[in-house]
Amino acid sequence: MTTPLVEDSTGGLKTGDTLLEVDNLIMRYKTKQGYVSAVEDVSFVLHKGEALGLVGESGCGKTSVALSLLRLQADNGEILGGEIRLGGKDLVPISEDEMRRHRWNDVSMVFQGAMNSWNPVYRVGDQIKEALDLHWPERLNRAETRQRIGDLFALVGLDSDAQDRYPHEFSGGMRQRAVIAMALSCNPQVIIADEPTTALDVIVQDQILKELKKIQADLNMSIIYISHDIAVIAEVTDRTGVMYAGKMVEFGDTGDIFSAPRHPYAWLLLSSTPSIVGPRRKLAPLEGEPPNLLDPPSGCRFNPRCPFATDQCRVEEPPLRDIGDDHQVACWNYEQVPVGITSGSVV
Amino acid sequence: MTEARVEVKDLEKRYPVQKSVFRSAKDFIHAVDGINFRIDPGESLGLVGESGCGKTTTGRMLVKLLEVTGGEVLLQDSGEVIDISHITDKDDLKRFRSDVQMIFQDPFESMNPRRTVYDTIAEPLTVQRIGTVPDREAKVAELLNLVGLTPAESFMFRFPHELSGGQRQRVAIARALIVDPTFVVADEPTSMLDVSIRISVMDLMLKLADRLNVSYLYITHDLAVARYMCDRIAVMYLGKIVELADTEDLLGHPMHPYTRALLSAVPVPDPSYQRPPVEIKGGISKSINPEPRCRFYDRCPIAREDICGVQDHPPLEEKAPNHWVACYLVDKQPA
Amino acid sequence: MALEQKPPDLEIGPPITGLEGSDDEPIIAITEPLWRIRLRLLWRSFKKNWGLFAENRIGLVGLFVIAIFAVMAIAHPILMATAWGGDNREIYDPVIGYDAVVKEFTVVEEVTDPLSEIELIDARFTNINAQVGDVIEQPQQPASPSSRHLLGTDPLGRDVLSQLMFSTRAAFFLGMVAALVTVFIATTVGSIAAFFRGFVDAFLMRVADLILLMPLIPILIVIGGFWTIELWQLGVIIGILNGFGGVAIVLRSQALAVSVKPFVDAARVAGGSRWHLIFRHVIPNVLPLSFLYMMFGVTEAISLEAILSFFGLLNVEMSWGLMISIAQAEGYLLRGLDVWWLLFPAGLAVTFLAAAFFLVGRAMDEVVNPRLRKR
Repeated sequence: MTTPLVEDSTGGLKTGDTLLEVDNLIMRYKTKQGYVSAVEDVSFVLHKGEALGLVGESGCGKTSVALSLLRLQADNGEILGGEIRLGGKDLVPISEDEMRRHRWNDVSMVFQGAMNSWNPVYRVGDQIKEALDLHWPERLNRAETRQRIGDLFALVGLDSDAQDRYPHEFSGGMRQRAVIAMALSCNPQVIIADEPTTALDVIVQDQILKELKKIQADLNMSIIYISHDIAVIAEVTDRTGVMYAGKMVEFGDTGDIFSAPRHPYAWLLLSSTPSIVGPRRKLAPLEGEPPNLLDPPSGCRFNPRCPFATDQCRVEEPPLRDIGDDHQVACWNYEQVPVGITSGSVV
Repeated sequence: MTEARVEVKDLEKRYPVQKSVFRSAKDFIHAVDGINFRIDPGESLGLVGESGCGKTTTGRMLVKLLEVTGGEVLLQDSGEVIDISHITDKDDLKRFRSDVQMIFQDPFESMNPRRTVYDTIAEPLTVQRIGTVPDREAKVAELLNLVGLTPAESFMFRFPHELSGGQRQRVAIARALIVDPTFVVADEPTSMLDVSIRISVMDLMLKLADRLNVSYLYITHDLAVARYMCDRIAVMYLGKIVELADTEDLLGHPMHPYTRALLSAVPVPDPSYQRPPVEIKGGISKSINPEPRCRFYDRCPIAREDICGVQDHPPLEEKAPNHWVACYLVDKQPA
Repeated sequence: MALEQKPPDLEIGPPITGLEGSDDEPIIAITEPLWRIRLRLLWRSFKKNWGLFAENRIGLVGLFVIAIFAVMAIAHPILMATAWGGDNREIYDPVIGYDAVVKEFTVVEEVTDPLSEIELIDARFTNINAQVGDVIEQPQQPASPSSRHLLGTDPLGRDVLSQLMFSTRAAFFLGMVAALVTVFIATTVGSIAAFFRGFVDAFLMRVADLILLMPLIPILIVIGGFWTIELWQLGVIIGILNGFGGVAIVLRSQALAVSVKPFVDAARVAGGSRWHLIFRHVIPNVLPLSFLYMMFGVTEAISLEAILSFFGLLNVEMSWGLMISIAQAEGYLLRGLDVWWLLFPAGLAVTFLAAAFFLVGRAMDEVVNPRLRKR
């Protein structure tokens, strides 16, 4: 066998090298009422061996970004601009056939709710075998396939023989582990994990997150976590992007963002997240509703809900600009945002 | 001690596991297995636990959506006490329906898509034939104002699909409060909402509980939410309450090994915070005909075979002032 | 503990005061009566659904065809009162009218063209002295289309167009009766089975299975053999067999999906009785699907009527099936296209109207079932 069964998927890159670059990505869904601007001018860089988080509320475009990276957006979604460079190669203009070769082998995805989409009438192992047959560069014989799936299962903390079992014999946590094993099956360089623990109980969630962290470290993998759960992002990622209404509003080191968010939305989001540690405090509600992306507000998309909005914000769209320490914010008045998130009175 | 608004005594729900149509069942799922708690007027009790622990079953029994198979639920109703699990009288049932209400988890599914906001909120009045139509209209308008859906007349005749998730949950709250209930069961009312909307809905519920002196049973899997909403928290595991204490006491000094595991598994939105290791073994087991020993025995990191493995599930005892724990190995602390 | 004394009548509690925002907000006065608001809401949702329906060309075609037939049905009594009325009534009445169009025929030994030739034996009924090669005047029935009879006359000398238009009413009447009975029974049975489950469900569904197993046409033929079925009876029978059979099973599964929704639980907690839950929550959410099956029911009823009338098992003055039946009884069914007006108008009417209701049903399916909707 030329390809080792479970390998460190370095792809010739060292930790910290640029692996995936997204530049000014624009993706919109065409509907009868017009274009829904789901991803608007989003840029970020993913390094080798890094865990990156995309956080935001439902409809903010975080899943659309992920699907665009794999060019798997819904039929009515069009990438209207920007580049997605994987190891220097732009994935946007290439043909569908070529893209198929990159999917799963270079970039794979743990889809939201995938743990509930196992086909109940096939053994779990056979369903992973299908992915291997489709994407693995060479044809594996029976024994090799079994061996590889067994190794993958061991990697995600499942018993190797569990591949002969049916999905209903698995608990929720086991099903999600098997989904992760499937995503790992072709040694991708990047895994996109969309809400990987959302439907799971906290204890199982903790186990899955630990498993993902371990795999990331062992295989020197890059993972993009997508979640609405700020606490999960805080725990597992190195760098975080906060998205609002299709735009990246803040991007930087996870520690920086969580200790001192500079964008008013990020600040309010963190201030409205309850926690079981720290003083019990009154949480600041975020007034209003996210905008309609068919007709987003002019200027900054957050301006109708922003307590710091000025006339400039209502007219001019703030660019994502560097404010030092690899920290970027798209806000005209970020200096006015209070430092720290323990706002409000202690109850 | 004041009179409890709701008192639950040895509440039990068993589901038969039917093997055949012609044979009566021998096996039972012990979904809720003899639990006790009380809720005082204006108090909010959190019921937390993992999926399948029986918290939703408990809530549904308290609003009579499920039949109680054992124990009793006593409800204080203007000086009198009704056992809601054995209501036979029609008038009693009517009074119960205006005393106890429920807020459901899914704001998208808990409103009939073909009925307007007015129909939904006024439903308890309509079906119980309370008031005249103009009275009902005024009351609905008042509640819409109360839950922050203003101006009321612009919301009254909208359909559910014309509302956002947060607005729908406000409608659900209005529906629950229109009959001036004294006790509301809230089953994960904010778990389907986005973070930013969640807080305003929780604040609304807190504000209303305070003003209207409503007691809540707040069912949630999210301890952080329970901390925000509840005065006391009960932790459930496989149909049993394993620990019950004041919120800050429970979070600060968890005594039961399961509570400790649960708390240490909750992610914290602070990257610099190091969680303690989660000490728990294996996965959740089934509650079909449980063995006569501690329900947590198989997964407990500190279980002792000679104590926990041979005796029945430990009783819920007051190990510290107002801090109840069901564990043989937790020592009683001096007051 | 049961309460000894009767509880006081429940009233709406006093306004809740002391909340910010609610003090200075005046309690709104609804200026319009509720029914007017509901009517407006109904109109709005109708407009929205019409928009969805109209996107589908097939449905519009179906509706157009139905409209044409409706115009025909309405036009008939008007014509009978005006152009076809008075003295003309004897000619144009669809049932008792008679008009022998006199036409010249050549007497021959063997008929090759029945429209211009007549056999010697037949000719002697009119003129005892007729000889081969003579041209005699002979009243013709059926007569081919002329300006007097746009679609000709039938073998008994009655106007085909008048019959066709008159029968449209019967077709609509039968379709509506059958469809309404189907929907009423199927919705009620399906919803009750789904809501109560257990024994009720099992019993109703086994009955439905039994009815589903019964072959509809042979049964109707047998019933027709014992006594003459009136049109409305046929509608009711089709409605019962259809409604209690397949449609009830389909609607039950829909009702099952509805009755486990949280809004049904919410209504239960609000204090709603079983009947409130069924009629206010379950049935309204099943009805759109019911209407869909109502359309398919109309299609089936119209076709069945044609079949039964053809066999002469239906007590009806005039219908499309009966028109074909008469043509058949007089030996014109397999005569070929030379007597096309005896077969095509009625045959095509059955086909078109049945198909039109089916197409409308298909288009409604897309309105009712969002998964079929094109984005």
